[in-house]
Amino acid sequence: MVFTLGVMSIVALYQVSLVIGSSMEKKLSTYGANILISPSNETLSVSYGGFHLGDMLYNVEPLSEKHTVSAVKSIELKERISSVAPKLVATTKIGDTAVAVVGVRWENELPIKSYWATNGEFPSSPDEIVIGSKAAENLGIHTGDTVNFFGSPFRVSAVLYPTGGDDDNVILTDLGALQTITNRQDEVSFLEVAALCSGCPIDDIVAQIRKQLPGTDIKALSNVVNQRMASITFVQRLVLSISLVILVTAATMVGLSMLSAVNERKKDIGLLRSLGYSKGRVFFIFCLEAGFIGILSGIIGYFSGFAASFKALSLLAMAEGASPVFDFNHLLITCSIIGVITVLAASYPAWKGASIEPSQALMAL
Amino acid sequence: MLQAININKIFKSEGQETQVLKNISLEIPQGEFLSIVGRSGSGKTTLLNVLSTLVRPDDGELLYHGDDLTSLPESGLNRLRYADFSVIFQFHHLVPYLTALENTLLPFMSSLKPAPRELVDKASDCLGRVGLAGKENRLPGNLSGGEQQRVAIARALVKSSRILFADEPTGSLDKKTGAEIMDLIVDLNSEGMTVVMVTHDPEYAKLAGRSVNMEDGVFV
Repeated sequence: MVFTLGVMSIVALYQVSLVIGSSMEKKLSTYGANILISPSNETLSVSYGGFHLGDMLYNVEPLSEKHTVSAVKSIELKERISSVAPKLVATTKIGDTAVAVVGVRWENELPIKSYWATNGEFPSSPDEIVIGSKAAENLGIHTGDTVNFFGSPFRVSAVLYPTGGDDDNVILTDLGALQTITNRQDEVSFLEVAALCSGCPIDDIVAQIRKQLPGTDIKALSNVVNQRMASITFVQRLVLSISLVILVTAATMVGLSMLSAVNERKKDIGLLRSLGYSKGRVFFIFCLEAGFIGILSGIIGYFSGFAASFKALSLLAMAEGASPVFDFNHLLITCSIIGVITVLAASYPAWKGASIEPSQALMAL
Repeated sequence: MLQAININKIFKSEGQETQVLKNISLEIPQGEFLSIVGRSGSGKTTLLNVLSTLVRPDDGELLYHGDDLTSLPESGLNRLRYADFSVIFQFHHLVPYLTALENTLLPFMSSLKPAPRELVDKASDCLGRVGLAGKENRLPGNLSGGEQQRVAIARALVKSSRILFADEPTGSLDKKTGAEIMDLIVDLNSEGMTVVMVTHDPEYAKLAGRSVNMEDGVFV
């Protein structure tokens, strides 16, 4: 009973940690990309006569959207890629004000920019745009207005609430529309990639992308990744620590139960010894019994824990997008580990019981 | 067959030593029915335990077919208890979660292998012989005290033991059931099984071919 409850708690905790870990991965990935792909370039710092003109880029080869996206999605660890968001940056003037226009694929962009909030709706057609809060303020544009740039009219479907980042200063439009009106078909300025990285080193993903895309500049935003992995690792380590405490407690309880069982069953031991059972055989019987109880507890505890994890997750409300998955190998491993632990926990009391002289055991009769 | 020579046994409890057997010598020929009588605390059960190898004496010799059992290693004693000796107790100790048939087969259940068919048949026959035909699958809790003692006797029968050691076999039974058990024991003895029985009932002691009386660890 004690062991069944122990196993149940451990399995439930394990399943909850797996599901929460997976859910956290998905949630964390929505807080931004962690890999940046941009064209390789060379920088020249230009100064003349004491006048500094700043850093100038040259030899910049634009990226092909189709080729780059398909290359990223064909790496070995492609199932770890949750989103590839290509972007094209162009500058224009609206009235007398210069402004940057960023073309995005909304279906790829929104999953990694879940923190975006607007006072309207995100665009549903290529002739709609979203405008950053500062840009809207500078241009005096509101939701529902129509603006013209690159010779085409666009309806403002929403103004972004301030993000504190670069998004506040730009106009966001459909990538395909921007490529067409700027006559830069299939061209992108850079791509953001969101990778799920619990248990996979981001460096491997970067190396695989780099292999697929030679001549591009690929950067891992390791802080983001490390933060995500640290959060997930923390949850899993917490669960491991709690599981170990439960396991040690349950093993101690089994040991004590076996000691108690030995005392209660002195008569049986005396009888078996009087029938010619050796100490080793009596020890084996106790251990076998403990192992059997352990395996049975493992099976019952595993299924109870599995069922309990559903309840726990519904109470915690932290399992969006993930649910416990039954794995027969986990069941086998659980039963084997529990079986070994029960036998180990029972071995001392079993040996103590087996070593009782028949005469001493018979005094209990 | 079985010979005890100058057997001494001292029990130590809370720093105090009590000599329970004092220079006991006894010879039990094959086929004999020996009863050991005496009051409680006289040492008769301890003597039975020494003779059945469940207790090692502190001093003296215990010869079985000429071999000294006091110097026999544990494995040798286990073989002897398995093959030649059987002990039945006052409270006819049975394993409560095993059926009558399984309790009868208990000596052969030390390995994981199931008992062979012929052994199971023999155990059923033995249970039939002690009047328990049809009750093979009953648990001890569903048997009367007398029936449980019969299962213990059947266990000795199925082993084809040479010596049956009986410690107050009728002690917990009513008069009628006790008499039935004694009839069984007498029958076994008449078929050649050596019987050593501890009892404090003079009526049952008379059924034995020989009776020894104990008091304070010595024969009187």
